[in-house]
Amino acid sequence: MTASSATGAAPVSSGKYLTFALGREEYGLPILKVREIIKVMDITHVPQVAAHVLGVINLRGKVIPVIDLRRKFGFDAQAPTDRTCIIVAEVALPSSTLMMGVVVDSVSEVVHVSAAEIEEPPDFGGPRTSDYLLGLAKVKGGVKILLDLDRVLGSDGTLALGPV
Amino acid sequence: MSKTTRRKADKAPPVIVAEELATFAADPELASMFVADGLEHLGTIEQTILRLEKAPGDLSLVNDLFRPFHTVKGNAGVLGIQSIETFAHKLETLLDLARSGSHAMGQAEIDVVLSAVDVLTMMVKELPQRAAGQPHTDQTAACQRILATVDALIAGEAPAPAVPIPVVAQPDADTATATWIDEDSTIKVSTRKLDALVDMVGELAIAHAMLGDNPALQRPGDDRLSRQMAQIRRITGDIQRDAMSMRMVPMRRTFQKLTRLIRDLSKKWEKPANVIVVGEDTELDRKLIEQLTDPLMHMVRNTIDHGIEPREARLAAGKSEVAQIELRAFHRGGGVVVEIADDGAGLDTERIFARAVAQGMVADGTPMEAADVHQLIFRPGFSTADRVTELSGRGVGMDVVRRNIQMLRGRIDIHTTRGHGTTFSLRLPLTLAIVDGLVLGVGADRFVIPTPAVQESLRPTPQQVHTTGGRPTMVQVRDRLIPLLHLGHAFGIPSAREEIGQGTVVIAEDNGRRVALVVDELLGKREVVIRSLGEMFRGVRGIAGGAILGDGRIGLILDTGGLLALASSMSPQGAA
Repeated sequence: MTASSATGAAPVSSGKYLTFALGREEYGLPILKVREIIKVMDITHVPQVAAHVLGVINLRGKVIPVIDLRRKFGFDAQAPTDRTCIIVAEVALPSSTLMMGVVVDSVSEVVHVSAAEIEEPPDFGGPRTSDYLLGLAKVKGGVKILLDLDRVLGSDGTLALGPV
Repeated sequence: MSKTTRRKADKAPPVIVAEELATFAADPELASMFVADGLEHLGTIEQTILRLEKAPGDLSLVNDLFRPFHTVKGNAGVLGIQSIETFAHKLETLLDLARSGSHAMGQAEIDVVLSAVDVLTMMVKELPQRAAGQPHTDQTAACQRILATVDALIAGEAPAPAVPIPVVAQPDADTATATWIDEDSTIKVSTRKLDALVDMVGELAIAHAMLGDNPALQRPGDDRLSRQMAQIRRITGDIQRDAMSMRMVPMRRTFQKLTRLIRDLSKKWEKPANVIVVGEDTELDRKLIEQLTDPLMHMVRNTIDHGIEPREARLAAGKSEVAQIELRAFHRGGGVVVEIADDGAGLDTERIFARAVAQGMVADGTPMEAADVHQLIFRPGFSTADRVTELSGRGVGMDVVRRNIQMLRGRIDIHTTRGHGTTFSLRLPLTLAIVDGLVLGVGADRFVIPTPAVQESLRPTPQQVHTTGGRPTMVQVRDRLIPLLHLGHAFGIPSAREEIGQGTVVIAEDNGRRVALVVDELLGKREVVIRSLGEMFRGVRGIAGGAILGDGRIGLILDTGGLLALASSMSPQGAA
């Protein structure tokens, strides 16, 4: 009924996307989900969580979780450079929304993607990857992978591992 | 087809929702105001009727009863909620007759009004669920039963009395009236806003502390700067105190609930009891009171079922057949104490011990102090109830009560004298928002352990450390062997020191069990604002939340219960 759930329900939509780099790939996040971009700061490690969960940061008095997309997507680990950033975005969990930080190699630009430029994600033969892809956008001669950050977290929205 | 129509069809039958609750559902703000107001009025009604029960014939009390009923009815009428309106109207008719003096408020009338208050409270509470089409309790049958009773009473017929009415003793008239104080003028603020304010003020205090630590500000000789810093510190402290006080609410409402519960149970069980309430104006953090109510209700049930003897036994012991139950709340040493005291039989040390032996909790013949024996009632699974009664003995025991109290960072003590009664004493912090903690360093990481959980800290000598299979697993402190938990290992912190001899051991206690945490260093005591890590981290064991420390970094707050579970899953022996 509300505006936010309506935008969340639309699987692929034209609009503005914030693009960023991971390795040699370019990804895009719907700009409406992005709150801010910050420099990498001190991250407090939290035990018993999946490897791609780096921990929590203090964002002006708010404690928010930070995940490493490189690790999540199976890239080689890389030491932070001066271009490494944390994108703070809003993520919808089954019962609430929260702010989350996503570490990326570098932030590129904001691009407008029209519906005609978006292609359905190809079927890679397994449910794992295509689950959190909104689609592929062909803009400016390159392909940007549009991410559904809500799904990147996994279906139950918890980052903790089960009992060790 | 649009999405919205499909969603509507998924919901429960919307027929009732549409008709009676259309206005209610259409205006969420009005709706939440109606629910809040309604519950407040119903609380007033309940409180007034309990006073009326002690002073029947006091027409001004009947008047006080009539007004809130009328308001609830009126508000329901405005919103078009007929089920509540017609129900309240019938009760109002009875009260109107009583108010004009043409109908006496007897015990039957009081009982029916009380049960009507219960039904109305449920109806009002569940309105949001009903409006959202979610499942709710159907009160139609209960309403009709009460309406029939009211009709009979108005017609002058004596309804079948539901419960034989024991004499409930009249309390001191002074205590009943002296507690009536004028309400200050107040405004309503959503608790979420208030919580956010308290959190932000906590951060302000911490930010101020960080500023104070800044070496640039610590140059000697600048008097004006240090004066200004002191000024800011004073103001920050004042704001913090005031913000905290906004979230404080008196114990009154909780004590009212308990009084009502005691009244109902003592009638049902024919154990007449007189309730004395002391210190109901004592204020506690709202969140704390919310979580305190259930444990207190459970303790009151226990008191009436186990604590108070049957009437014959009381008379035989030369006591008044009317038991005294005292509910007390007062400040002590920076915290609050809540007590439930009875003049019943007191705890039966021998029986508890025998029961614990029978249930395999202790070995027969173990030498134990009486106080330690009394602590056994808090063990999971302990029950002295030979029968399962409606009141207690249904498995949810005192262990749950103690667990809840400990989650509030409080503790529970028992003082009992055989034949003279028992006092359960709860010591609680004033607020849940701030915890007094010990900051621990492990490698580069910082942890905070709440001070109440810490028993002691020590640097163990090699003789105190016992190994199994070459790995240190236990530390001996005086006569006790305590399992070791190396925080660095348990949490996978690579830079943690390996050798226990170099580190410090902090003994933490939870529910009578202890664990020795191996850390690199103790970094001092400080107050921190507790922040949840959010539901994404809810599966993490041993961590209760996060706190922003003086340097802006986050320290994780340790949860001793979770650490104990972690310790026993890591070592084959389990925790002692």
